[in-house]
Amino acid sequence: MKPRCLWIVPVLALLGAGALGAADGRGLYEEGLAAAEAADYEAAFAKLEAAVAAEPDNLRYGTAYRQAVIAAAGDEKKELYERCIDFFKTLVAAHPEAANAYLNLAFAHVDKIPAEGAITQVILANTSLTYFGNALELEESWLGRYSRGHAYLFWPTIFGRAASGIADLEKAIAIARENGDPKPYHARAWAALGDGYWRLDDVDKAREVWTRGRELFPGDGELEARLSRTGREELDAYLEVHYDTGQRVATHLREILGRDAAGHDEPAPR
Amino acid sequence: MSERPADREGRLPAERKTVNKIAAMPLALRRYGALLAAAILAAAPAAVALANEHRDVTRPEGAEAPWFEDRTAAAGVDRPHRTRSFKNPYAHVMEGYTALGASAAVADFDGDGWEDVFFTLSNEEGANLLYRNNGDFTFTETAAAAGVAAGNDAGNASANSLWFDYDGDGDQDLFVARFGQSLLYENRGDLTFRDVTAEAGLGPRYLNCIAAIAFDYDRDGDLDLFLGNYFQPVNLFNPETPRFFPESFETAANGGGVTVYRNEGGKLTDVTEAVGIRVSGWTLDLGHADADHDGDEDLYVAADFGSDSFFRNDGDGSFTDVTKEAIGVDTKKGMNVDWGDFDNDGLFDVFVTNITDEYMKEGNFLWQNLGGLKFADVSRETGTHATGWGWAGKFFDYDNDGWLDLYVVNGWVSGSKDPEDNYVLDIFEVIVNPELDLADARNWPPMGDKTLSGYQPNALFHNEGGIFKDDAARHGLDSRLDARGVAVADFDHDGRLDLFVTNSGKPPNLWRNVQPTGRHWIRLVLTGTKSNRDAVGARVWAQAGGRRQAAFVNGGNGFASQSSRRVHFGLEGAAVVERLEVVWPSGLEQSFTGVAADRTYQLTEGDDTLRPFVPRESTTTPQAKTPTESRP
Repeated sequence: MKPRCLWIVPVLALLGAGALGAADGRGLYEEGLAAAEAADYEAAFAKLEAAVAAEPDNLRYGTAYRQAVIAAAGDEKKELYERCIDFFKTLVAAHPEAANAYLNLAFAHVDKIPAEGAITQVILANTSLTYFGNALELEESWLGRYSRGHAYLFWPTIFGRAASGIADLEKAIAIARENGDPKPYHARAWAALGDGYWRLDDVDKAREVWTRGRELFPGDGELEARLSRTGREELDAYLEVHYDTGQRVATHLREILGRDAAGHDEPAPR
Repeated sequence: MSERPADREGRLPAERKTVNKIAAMPLALRRYGALLAAAILAAAPAAVALANEHRDVTRPEGAEAPWFEDRTAAAGVDRPHRTRSFKNPYAHVMEGYTALGASAAVADFDGDGWEDVFFTLSNEEGANLLYRNNGDFTFTETAAAAGVAAGNDAGNASANSLWFDYDGDGDQDLFVARFGQSLLYENRGDLTFRDVTAEAGLGPRYLNCIAAIAFDYDRDGDLDLFLGNYFQPVNLFNPETPRFFPESFETAANGGGVTVYRNEGGKLTDVTEAVGIRVSGWTLDLGHADADHDGDEDLYVAADFGSDSFFRNDGDGSFTDVTKEAIGVDTKKGMNVDWGDFDNDGLFDVFVTNITDEYMKEGNFLWQNLGGLKFADVSRETGTHATGWGWAGKFFDYDNDGWLDLYVVNGWVSGSKDPEDNYVLDIFEVIVNPELDLADARNWPPMGDKTLSGYQPNALFHNEGGIFKDDAARHGLDSRLDARGVAVADFDHDGRLDLFVTNSGKPPNLWRNVQPTGRHWIRLVLTGTKSNRDAVGARVWAQAGGRRQAAFVNGGNGFASQSSRRVHFGLEGAAVVERLEVVWPSGLEQSFTGVAADRTYQLTEGDDTLRPFVPRESTTTPQAKTPTESRP
């Protein structure tokens, strides 16, 4: 038995604690955050895993746990990423209705990518697409569509996945429009949608999309960065770095899971 | 009392270049992709500017014309390599993964002063070729007459070759590495060879060898043989099991590993376990050098489907695996090991090729030697990171400017050009199926006529003070054939290093260096007496024109190719080497002052005189000899 399998026992015990309720989850979450901030990662993992177990569909708790893992593991301690992935796998098995648990499971795979070699990166990236898809089957969301659409764009052109990415990103934009409550982070879908066309070698269309996005979200840094690169070579260089599979993709969801002026968590969007 | 020379790290020149500044960045900064990219963008322009302060980068008159001429056909060396076909149940899979075996090994086998080439084919009917240098940039093929043509048959396929004086009698013997059972030929000294494989203790034995180097690891005065084996020791031509393929794409430990033979007066004994070389990966290349200048040779092992390894020679006849401390553990596809002091800091650095393509961006390693057996990969910072599906990569100073350049050949299989026929799509289905037993050859898709990282250009990296710029297209060296080996030698003794490049399934390319710079150079032909006769491991320092360079006699480093063992220094504008120092494997140190440039010298260990080395019947450069000339 691999050592990491030993963690499953306490994890299963914690999953049974789902009845603890939201209030208990909240307390564990706060304690876990404090432990992570103090770099007491073992304590942080225990508290945050318990918090997530108490509220499996809580995107914020799951995200906090993953970020604590990244902080502790960096690009080296693969076993911590494996622990995190195992935790969320067990979680979705116990709570197959929890869309956000699937999202966190997908992100946990993305989080591990920089720590792995080129081949395992492919496997992780491919598996994350499956879990993003599971989340979307349970519940349509801007975050799910954006995340999967963006993930498709990391694939080299030869795999023909850019079109799937474009479709997801268009859906994300449509969801945001239907909700009628534009948020600054929605600009990301416009940036990524243009990237999809860049991936398909249709730079004119890409610029058209980024320009439209800038009209809706003036001053957005991602859109400005793309549109300011008027030469093809400098645009390619910029986006190739952006889509370099060796670099860590930000999955902290900070803009989405914001806190209000009083420092309280804002409700996580669906 | 040890005869080891004093540690040379204290004698480093003051001239430390740009790359050293990059290496001085915090390790964490250089290791992480995002920050790394930023580091490249930020560091490169400044680095080049710094480099330019130190050297004249202006082109000499006539520099616009290519500096290399393709003389393959004119020289008579244009017979093509042929890959192996198999007749077993796994043949359709194996043929895609054995497009190897096009190798070239350079040495002066007939002792006439001109360097000759042994070239391997791999098809069952293919006769290996021995090209004897006529001295006028033509060659005469003599393999059959010499008795070294028979390297391929139903149970063996030639994969590589190595010249070394295994019996210390002063002439070059020949090792033919094979998928199957390898061969050792003794040079009789009369232009013929005899098979001494069994007599010397090498077999017959299945090793599926693809890499061979020879150096004197225990400094007892003879050359020991280090073999890198790709497949595990099974009969590939009639395997008893289908489970002989790599068990993993990144951590495979079911390959052939490394085999070490200790030489005792021409008797070779397997001492692999005893010396502590314990690896079981898919070895593709081996490279030795004295990385820490402690007087003995250390070893880098490049492995496919898993981590490379680094072994420190402990000086007592054993090695210690210091991979984690020296280079870290990787998951890449190491294919080449060449050592050279690219940054002129006195320490030998390592170049390793890996796979870089749209679908997999591993990047090559340029391991900058930081001293203390620590290395940092500076391939991104130096511009040598991404060349393609790399094979041989050799350091050599093609323009004699005193900085080691680098020629890297690329490309796996160039088949159909139809985008639908890209094998990546097939192998992807295997990669993303973690349930598959990869060790089972039947689970690997056949390649057929499909392409995998094909039609990739070779790269000629010009060293511009530690930063490299690809000049391959300018010099016509950007061939897109599926090249494998690069043998560097001055075939016409004109002071300019030429290239013999092997291509899988195609004729080789013989590139004659015709650069018009007139820059100075010096070359040494070393002969050991107390040390091994080939002087492998001898280190040489040349101080000239305000620059101090280091080189060593290498025993066959580099994938599928053995370059000349002669030590060559480009001297740029310096017509005299102010000080030339040699440290022999025995520990003996010799030095010379005021040595005139633009000559090749013979130096015998312990002899106080540098003697002019002139190829037979050549009083000026170059001058032809008759093809029928016999060895005295």
